[in-house]
Order: sequence, then C-alpha cells, then structure tokens
Amino acid sequence: MSVVEIKNLNLIYQSTKSETEALTDINLTIEKEEFVSIVGPSGCGKTTILSLITGLIKPTSGQVLVMGKTPNLKNNFCGYMFQRDNLLPWRTIEKNIYFGLELKKLASKERKEKALDLTNKYGLSEFLKKHPSELSGGMRQRVALIRTLALQPELLLLDEPFSALDYQTRLELCDDIFNIIKTEQKTAILVTHDIQEAISMSDRIIVLSARPGKIKAIHTLDFSPDLTPFERRKTEKAKQLFDVIWQEIQNEKKKI
Amino acid sequence: MKRKKFSAAHYDYLRKYSLRKISILLTQILVLAIFITLWELLSRYEIISSFFFSSPSKIIKTASEMFKSGELVYHSSITLKETFIGFAIATGIGFAVAFVLWCSTFLRSVSEPYLVVLNSLPKIALGPIIIIWFGAGQKAIIVMCILIVIIVTILNILNSFTSCDKQLIALAKSLGANKLQIFAKLILPNSLKDIVSTLKINVGLSWIGAIMGEYLVSRAGLGYLLIYGGQVFNLNLVMTSTVILCVLASIMYLLVAMFEKLMNKFYGK
Repeated sequence: MSVVEIKNLNLIYQSTKSETEALTDINLTIEKEEFVSIVGPSGCGKTTILSLITGLIKPTSGQVLVMGKTPNLKNNFCGYMFQRDNLLPWRTIEKNIYFGLELKKLASKERKEKALDLTNKYGLSEFLKKHPSELSGGMRQRVALIRTLALQPELLLLDEPFSALDYQTRLELCDDIFNIIKTEQKTAILVTHDIQEAISMSDRIIVLSARPGKIKAIHTLDFSPDLTPFERRKTEKAKQLFDVIWQEIQNEKKKI
Repeated sequence: MKRKKFSAAHYDYLRKYSLRKISILLTQILVLAIFITLWELLSRYEIISSFFFSSPSKIIKTASEMFKSGELVYHSSITLKETFIGFAIATGIGFAVAFVLWCSTFLRSVSEPYLVVLNSLPKIALGPIIIIWFGAGQKAIIVMCILIVIIVTILNILNSFTSCDKQLIALAKSLGANKLQIFAKLILPNSLKDIVSTLKINVGLSWIGAIMGEYLVSRAGLGYLLIYGGQVFNLNLVMTSTVILCVLASIMYLLVAMFEKLMNKFYGK
C-alpha cells in the first residue's frame, strides 16, 4: 500500500472578494520510506498540499488517501514539522518532547521511554532538563523532530524546517535530520524554497507550476545511498539538476 | 547544581550589585523619612497650617485613638470586605466570560462593540442607577466595584488568550488537540503572566471601586470616613484614612506579588 495517494485533486479557496484556484489536477503517489520534495515559486500551493495530507483542509474535488484512509486531524498518520520549532517556552525539553504524546493521550511510560531513547540516540539527553531558550536554533529544531517522532508517525511532513536557521546550521541539521529519517525508516515530504536542499535529501523532486499549482515536472534522483546530503551537494549531478529545476521555476515565475 | 569557584572579578561584581541594591533601598527609606520629618516640622512650627495639612504626629494620634475605640478595625474591615468581594467576583466572572468568548469567535465578534462601549463608559455615571436597583447599601458598593473591575478583566484576559502564537495552536491541532486541551496546555500557561498582571491591576481597581461606591452611598468604611472628614473639615481624619488605605492596598498588592512568585516557581520560569 502506498503511504500517500492523491488522485485528480483540485482545490479552490473561497474568500469574500474572489475565489482562488490553488491546486489543479494533482496526481501523486508516495511509497513507503520515500523522501519526496516539493519545490515551486512562492504561493504555488506547496504548503497547501501538506495541509491536505494532514486533513487540515478538505479538497474541493478529487481524493487524498493516507495509508489508504481519508486523513482527519483527530487520527492521522502524519508528524508535522514547521519552519519554527514551536517548542513551548515554559516547558523543559523533556516535557516538550512529551507534548504530542500528552495531547494524544499516549503518554504511557513505555512511549515516554521510547521517546527518551530517541533523545539519547541523537545526542539530546544532556538538554532534557533545560528550557528551549537555553538551546541553539539547530538544537531546538532537533528537539522538534524528536517530539514529532515520539508519536511514531508513518509520514513526516517537513514544511521548510531549515529556513529559519543560519546557513552553517542548516547544512549540519540537513545531514542530521536526513540521517534520523533514514535510520528510523520514515517516509517524508519536504516543502522548500531551496532547490539545493531538495536535491541533497530527496529520492524524488516535484516541481509545481505557478498558481494554480499543477505538477510541472517530476525528477527521480539516483544518488548512491551512502552519500550524505552534504556530499550530494558537491556532486556534478546535483549541479546539473539544480540548473534544470532553477530554469523550470524561473519560467514559471515569468508567467505570474 | 554544583558550586563553582568564580574569579575575583565575579565576587567584585556581586558585591557591587548588592551594594547598589542596598543603596536603592536606603535612599527609598531616606526619602520617606525626610518627607515625614519635613511635614512634621513645617506643621509644628505653623509654617504650613496644621489645620489644613495635619501632621504625621496627629495622624498617628488619630490612628491610635481610632484603634482603641475599634473604629479603625471596623471601618477598614468594611472597606476590605467590599474590596475583596468585588475583586473576587469580578475577577472570577471576568475570567469565565473571557474563556467563553475565547471559545466562540462568533460570540466574540458579537460582544465586541458592547465591551468597547462599556469599557469607555465612566462607571461612576451608573451610580444613580445602581443605587436605585440595589439600594443604598453595601450591595450597591460591591456592584460598583464589580463594574469597574470586570470589563477591564474581560478585555485584558481575552486579549491575552487570543494573542497566543497561531503557530503553536497549529502545532497542537496537527497533533490532534481538542479545544479544551489547547486551552489547558497552551493558552493558560501562555497567559499566566498576563493573568497575574491583570490581578495586580484588579487590586488597584477594586479599591477604586469600593471607595467610589462608599462615596456614593455608605454609612461606614474608609471612603465614608474620607467624605465625612472632608465635610466636617477634619483633615486629621482624612489624612489618617488615606494612610490606612495606602497600607492596606500595599498589603494586598504584596499578596498578589507573592502569588506571582509562587506561580513562576510552579511553571519553572
């Protein structure tokens, strides 16, 4: 079974002044343990696709299936990671990691221990008793990922999770998060503006057109699996692909 | 936590820091002492009229006489009671209303113009209506107090509830949180600081409410003493009541400040 199946999806936003076609005729299937990136000009509906997959909004027509079911907020298979870490400033790192478990009433001892295992595994255990304000941006984003993973989601939705960080941290965190996602064998969808970032992490890259968002191109990447994102960036193949996708997005921008 | 050894510069810094704190406190006391002494001397040598300005010694004398006759406790306790009841009811209801309005965006939009008008209305203007509806007694005073406190409470707390970071709410929703969970785990801890500062404001406002109410209708209480003293030109009584008010209001403020510290401890930061 595919993790995500989107069939003939259309989405029209309603507002008092007008109606906006946000997405048109999207067809997309994502398999288990695949890493898919969505790039495109701003306002093309990248984040909207994530919202549809979590069940935050419903499609105007067409179908979205996650693990073969229509997604809803109460019970979905997704873990969402935002641009900002959104850690609660009044909770310690440990309590922040349990936040999702508490909300879903899953905060059993066993689940909590599993979450703590993750923090040990990925080098966060020394920060457990600290508050978010005492951590660097990169660390905080790692905590946010662990909080998401604590819920053992089938599918990770990454909504520009690196864009609020400085360049150095971004590259570092890219490697780390890629490693965590691969080790935990998760399926992931990354939405980003950064073409290089998409190339460095993905198995497939989907290029959306300007609004209304349509799938303009799909690139399947075949890097050797032992390359880290950082190493991928340096390859000739990555540079060529960058030029191709860059051109595709530029052409779209001209249409606006 | 481990005790660390610090450099000499650090101890020097600490010493300067505590020295500064002490000197601020001493200066504060000094200012008060100079003010009282000056007041006392000026009125004793009749440079200012002791009839119009009273004097610290006369205030102490009046206060001790009032204490002996039981008047001080009697009037203070009446005003305290009104203030406290007004404070508690207004804060409680205000909080509940703010919660309901937070829950429903529809109700919030409906109530908005009413709240704005009620907020800008000087509550004292409702005095005559309150007296007619609730009688010229303590009930009217408490109602006046509630009216003055409640609108500000609703507006402040609602404002704080709705100012919670939208992204945090989006996160909680993506984790499947229901409305009550969002309130308990996000909104409330996020608003804690604002709630405490609202309590602080409310302490002051409920004193205003109680005294204003007593100006309107009372037969007892500190506000009554102030009005009565003014009417019979007994400035000693007026000054003494004012000082007592100052002391009581400070005590109540300190209690809220202690509560704030406790809360901060509870929430770690």
